[in-house]
Amino acid sequence: MSDVGEDSKIASSQWVALCSATDVPDIGGLRIELEGREAIAVFRSGDEYFVTDDQCTHGNASLCDGDVIEGEIECPFHRGMFDLRTGQPTGSPCTVPLRTYPAELRDGLIYADISQEK
Amino acid sequence: MNVQTRMPLLAPYPELGEAPIPVEPYLSQEYYEAELNKIFRQDWLVVGREEEIANPGDYKVKKLDFARTSVILIRGKDGKIGAFHNVCRHRGNKVISETGGEETFGNNKAAVVTCRFHGWVYNAKGELVDVPMQEKFPSCFNRAENGLVPIHVGSWAGFVFVNLAKTPSKTLDEFLGGVKEHFEGYPFNEITHCHTYYAHINCNWKVGMDAFCEGYHVPTIHAGSFPGLTDYWQDDVAFHGDHRSIAFYSSDMNPPTPVGTAANELFGASIALKRDEPFPLPKMVNPKRHKNWGFEQTTVFPNFLIHVGAGLWFTHQFWPVTQDKCLWEGKYYLKPPATNSQFWAQRYAVLLQRNAWLEDTATMEDTQQALLSGVLDKINLQDDEIMLRHQFHIINGRVTGK
Repeated sequence: MSDVGEDSKIASSQWVALCSATDVPDIGGLRIELEGREAIAVFRSGDEYFVTDDQCTHGNASLCDGDVIEGEIECPFHRGMFDLRTGQPTGSPCTVPLRTYPAELRDGLIYADISQEK
Repeated sequence: MNVQTRMPLLAPYPELGEAPIPVEPYLSQEYYEAELNKIFRQDWLVVGREEEIANPGDYKVKKLDFARTSVILIRGKDGKIGAFHNVCRHRGNKVISETGGEETFGNNKAAVVTCRFHGWVYNAKGELVDVPMQEKFPSCFNRAENGLVPIHVGSWAGFVFVNLAKTPSKTLDEFLGGVKEHFEGYPFNEITHCHTYYAHINCNWKVGMDAFCEGYHVPTIHAGSFPGLTDYWQDDVAFHGDHRSIAFYSSDMNPPTPVGTAANELFGASIALKRDEPFPLPKMVNPKRHKNWGFEQTTVFPNFLIHVGAGLWFTHQFWPVTQDKCLWEGKYYLKPPATNSQFWAQRYAVLLQRNAWLEDTATMEDTQQALLSGVLDKINLQDDEIMLRHQFHIINGRVTGK
């Protein structure tokens, strides 16, 4: 990330470029598999981008197959929901929060710090 | 008065006989049960079109009342279509509620279906992929042994077939036999704009099939919808094992109404109004390329009628419900309209066709009630009713084993 300006939080070495913003689908999310850890998901709601764990905390579903509805993600298995900003469950049967990560759009790329929860 | 016997269609098929056929197959509970067990639970049955579930995760639930089940057809992320009984392996709830009636459609981007009762989740291969609170089940419970109960499924020319037998005696290819070659090249996949009608009719399913299998009724019952269609004839009889084909021709019709003429100029959407535009047909359909050819009908045994015309095709299907109740499904396919004018022209043609189908279906309950009177023990068939005669012989052979 050496080309990233020092005034940004992206300057931290923990931040990684995940994908191009144009890779994030209008419907659902983009699943990104990373070595040595669980897959993560990149979502867009309006002009904002969000990075979370991909697996639902309730069932064994990929949340990228779900629907983004005004800042929330609806799981495709049981229609439980999470707030993409906070990870808090907002719809039954989900009760355990979803891990979310700091994310930012810069120069057309989505960066996130996947070493720490938001 | 002597009537000369002239049966050119039937003449090459002496095995079909000329005698009247019995009424019993339309009324008998025992005969009906045998039809279900020996035909409908053994043969391949059309349950949809591939384009109805075109995308990964699309699914269709089709009720099959005769078997007291419904079938989930779901397209997986790999593009393959799976077919399963709509029965949850937990306690037997319907996995998908049939909110659409006879046909229910939906999509799930994860290509799974979820039982709304306790949330069991199955993928497009039928595998049970998620059980809420699975840790509360005893150790003998095994997810891998509790997938959806599969049904044999296959496709031809975009038609999706299922077979309810545990082990079908024929593959779909073997079952279709000559039908595949007969239709080789017909662009079913390009003419996909579908108009659907259906009705539950109080008649044996074969009474419904019979009404659509001959042209003899056209000048009389369709005098209202197709007043110009008085001079018709049938030809091109072909039998493909249990399946059968016949073509319908007619002389040039009386001039259509001004509105009919206008519609036909905008889009050739009616079988009753001919157009001179060339349309590529399979070589076995209208083999002589006769200008008076109207359309051809092939019955895919046991209950599916495919009619192909120049630029349009349509189907009828009669599903047994009880021995004197059936479900009729009529589907009329056109190319999607390109303009509002074409939309109107198509609607005009489709409504004309709907009226004709209402005239057809209106006879069916009367026929069944008249047969139920018990006054008749046999019915009379003329040469143009050769398809009914073939149907009787094939079904009777299967039912009686002779």
